[in-house]
Amino acid sequence: MDYAHPLRFGAHVVARTPQEAAERARLAEELGLDLVTVSGEETDTWTLLSWVAGRTGRIGLAPHLLDAAEWAPAVLGRAAAGLDLLAGGRLELGLGDGAGRWEASGVRPLPPEQAATALGEAIGIIRGVWGSDTRLPLRAEGEHYRIAGAERGPAPAHNIPVWTGGTRPDPAIAAGADGWLTTSGGLAADQAVIDEAAVRAGRDPREIRRLVTVAPRAAAPEWTGELVAMALEHGAGTFLVEDADEAALRRFAQEVVPAVRQAVAAARAARGVTEAAVPSSLVRAHRHPGIDYEAVPAHLTTIEPGDAGYARVRSTYMRGGSPGLVLRPGTPAEVADALAFARGQQVPLAVRSGGHGISGRSTNHGGIVIDVSRLNAIEVLDKETRRVRIGPGARWSDVAGALAPHGWALSSGDYGGVGVGGLATAGGVGWLVREHGLTLDRLRAVDLVLADGSLVRADDTRNAELFWAVRGAGGNFGIVTSFEFEVDEVGEVGFAQFVMDASDTAGFLRRWGAAIEAAPRDVSGQLIIGRPRPGQPVIAQVMLVVDADDAETVLDRLRPIAAVAPLLDHTIQILPYSAIMHVPPGGHDGQGDPVARSALADHLTADLAAAATRLIMSGETYFFQIRTVGGAVSDVPADATAYAGRSANFQLVAFGPSRARLDAIWDRMRPHFSGIYLNFETDLRPERLDDAFPGETLRRLRELKRRYDPANVFRDNFNITP
Amino acid sequence: MPDYGHDLLFGSFITPANAAPERVLDLAQVSEDADLDLVTFQDHPYQPAFLDTWTLLSYVAARTERIRLSGNVINLPLRPPAVLARAAASLDLLSGGRFELGLGAGGFWDAIEAMGGRRLSPGQGVDALSEAIDVIRGIWDAGNKERFRLDGTYYQVDGAKRGPAPAHDVGIWLGAYKPRMLRLIGAKADGWLPSLPYFTSVDQFAEGNAIIDAAAAEAGRPPAAVRRLANISGRFGQGGDQLLSGPPEQWAEQLAALTLEYGVSGYILMNDDPAVLELFGQEVAPATRELVAAERSRRR
Repeated sequence: MDYAHPLRFGAHVVARTPQEAAERARLAEELGLDLVTVSGEETDTWTLLSWVAGRTGRIGLAPHLLDAAEWAPAVLGRAAAGLDLLAGGRLELGLGDGAGRWEASGVRPLPPEQAATALGEAIGIIRGVWGSDTRLPLRAEGEHYRIAGAERGPAPAHNIPVWTGGTRPDPAIAAGADGWLTTSGGLAADQAVIDEAAVRAGRDPREIRRLVTVAPRAAAPEWTGELVAMALEHGAGTFLVEDADEAALRRFAQEVVPAVRQAVAAARAARGVTEAAVPSSLVRAHRHPGIDYEAVPAHLTTIEPGDAGYARVRSTYMRGGSPGLVLRPGTPAEVADALAFARGQQVPLAVRSGGHGISGRSTNHGGIVIDVSRLNAIEVLDKETRRVRIGPGARWSDVAGALAPHGWALSSGDYGGVGVGGLATAGGVGWLVREHGLTLDRLRAVDLVLADGSLVRADDTRNAELFWAVRGAGGNFGIVTSFEFEVDEVGEVGFAQFVMDASDTAGFLRRWGAAIEAAPRDVSGQLIIGRPRPGQPVIAQVMLVVDADDAETVLDRLRPIAAVAPLLDHTIQILPYSAIMHVPPGGHDGQGDPVARSALADHLTADLAAAATRLIMSGETYFFQIRTVGGAVSDVPADATAYAGRSANFQLVAFGPSRARLDAIWDRMRPHFSGIYLNFETDLRPERLDDAFPGETLRRLRELKRRYDPANVFRDNFNITP
Repeated sequence: MPDYGHDLLFGSFITPANAAPERVLDLAQVSEDADLDLVTFQDHPYQPAFLDTWTLLSYVAARTERIRLSGNVINLPLRPPAVLARAAASLDLLSGGRFELGLGAGGFWDAIEAMGGRRLSPGQGVDALSEAIDVIRGIWDAGNKERFRLDGTYYQVDGAKRGPAPAHDVGIWLGAYKPRMLRLIGAKADGWLPSLPYFTSVDQFAEGNAIIDAAAAEAGRPPAAVRRLANISGRFGQGGDQLLSGPPEQWAEQLAALTLEYGVSGYILMNDDPAVLELFGQEVAPATRELVAAERSRRR
């Protein structure tokens, strides 16, 4: 019986002294082995394993039959996920049933039948801690363990294989064990036992990887023959040389492993057997209908609902999702492959860069997400012209950090956690906008994958019409795989945070708007007003950046704005642009669907200020924000890019709890507006497209859409129907 | 007293967030590079946003060369003492004697119980901690050839093999505020590790010291057998009346006063800003040591 598992070779290192074990594990890595498993005698196995993880960089790691009760299963589950995150997804979990517990803890082991049951319960709890298909707390009422509503997480970096051993496999295999460890002597007999247990648990026997420990042998040829037979006749897929000294380990890695690989590959080829790992039925059980998972190109990185990392990718910043498949291409060619696969599936398609989109639906329910976050390189192409190439998956925090050492910055959004792709194809309004323009105004070229899978470059001379469309409606035309920007020289900047009394709300808005319009272009910023609290004055948070590094200029610029209303509190710092944009890394876990309305306005007129005040006082917005635009943005003719709202000095957004009530108020404010800023607009009514793209722009976009995406593959954000 | 005459230790207290493990590792490296003596991590195994502290300590130990490490403090209810003892000794052996065992009785009982742990009252928690210290010291007593038995109320050991012995005398430091815990420290532990922000006044050091010293005397131990440490928070600023809010030289004066008047000899800064840790290690620590050494030689 050959289960056709790709072969893996490792070393089981037994710690007589912990230092010796750690050295042996490093040698196993140096020799190119796939896996090292460790067990302590006196030494604590988990401590030794964590230490070895810190001293190695590539090799797979597993405790060799650790007793799951030692640290309590829920704690062990969390520890295993943490070690997998620390070690970059290298962990496997070899668990034992506690027969060795007496030596370790002085607590008598359970009788074998009960020990097997306890191990099954422990595996269920460990997998439950990792579980990412539900947000519900973990509960387990077993004979041996009781978990009373523990929080789940973190999800490990990859699906940690769990394997165990012994002669009572049913509870562990039913609970999700992925592998079974046996000895070379017991292999033949054990395989049938495992196969039957797998079938009883409703699993495919090929899902269960067979691991076998083998004793070192003096003669490599005999050793090789033995292993080849075990692989081809008894289904062994992973070989662990047992407690080998240095010479034996070298002989194994350098002579036996290549010979076994070659012989097994030849025999499999002759028999027409294709190597493949069958995914766990516990993963497959979470698959969604409508997606042909078996047809996903094997070289693509995927995350599906049963996978460990699913919790980290299912949702976006403000929107909950439950996609059936997330594809994570690492190259432009893989983007094309992912797109070709997705187009063949009759389910929704979403494209995601940073996942911060409020208008962009970069997740879905039951569909496919192409997540380009791995395309995140930031590369200086030419110092002279400050030409920089940036992948769509980079975040603005990373961009600012990478450009700072050159004394450069790129006008971006106001929050560093946002991804490059979604912002640079739609606008980009942030702390440098009045001085340096929108992010897309700094764009000089893009490479993108079109709906038909072709990879094209667009700039002012090549595919110029496409380049025009990408700057403002990019999400409709393809998946950008890299952007080339001309960035600006920006040193340290003044960053001011004011808390202002906005009791005279309309007057405050009007005066603030006038002060901004009167300010030189080196001033950009925003104000935020929350839901008013009964009996308290309306408070505005004002944040401003002055692109100057001398205190005098900064204060000169700020004074007129600070004078528009009583200043309750303020801080002013001079710091690098990258410090303003800095956010720690972290994923998204949004839930529900955000309700936000967006607009551009040329001036904060008395009428607009009065209407905005009515909105604020209605309590229907918990976050009302006005950001500055104008300046350099308005230097660009309205027809130069698909982003047409060039006359606006301000961009407004309101988030509210109720779509119907917010819409009712916002719709009435429409006469005061001169357009929409796409990325904050969640309204799906078709007339928003006309607000976003004025007549001639929309006509041109439709024509281009018919040319570049006639089947309307890209439809998730302000869909321009062909 | 109370300057107990210990050499001074300066350490960091880094949030073990799992959202960006490389950031945690970087801060540990910053601690070592800033010549801090100690890097510590809180231990809340029920907190899903944190890396497992034991795993992290072992991993960081493997990636550093010089700095000492401790949990701050290890959650006893979710870490069985016999396993913990062997793990602590293993880590001390692997790291060349760089591990110290900060230990706590546990406090968030709902969360502990939810994770499969046993709920205890605060008083029971102290008794369990006392037994746990006996278990830990019994396992470490590798030279003792008798199998280890202990029939406690909370922990039973039925003939475990002893060992390994740690590479050095691992300090057992307890996070404690109340008299029963303080008495336990005096009787059995090697260090007292409270968090200064939980104190209403620094005089609580004096009150705690008095209880610890009396309990130590009763157990026939000198007061200096117990090191006094403190988790501290603060910021580097213009200064003023507030503790630890001025420039590094003012921090040094204030910490030296805590050492000379209250006997505190370990300062662990709760801060995740690399620049702050660098100032603490490079400027505050040497200046404090200098002030304390000068005063100690004057008093001699």
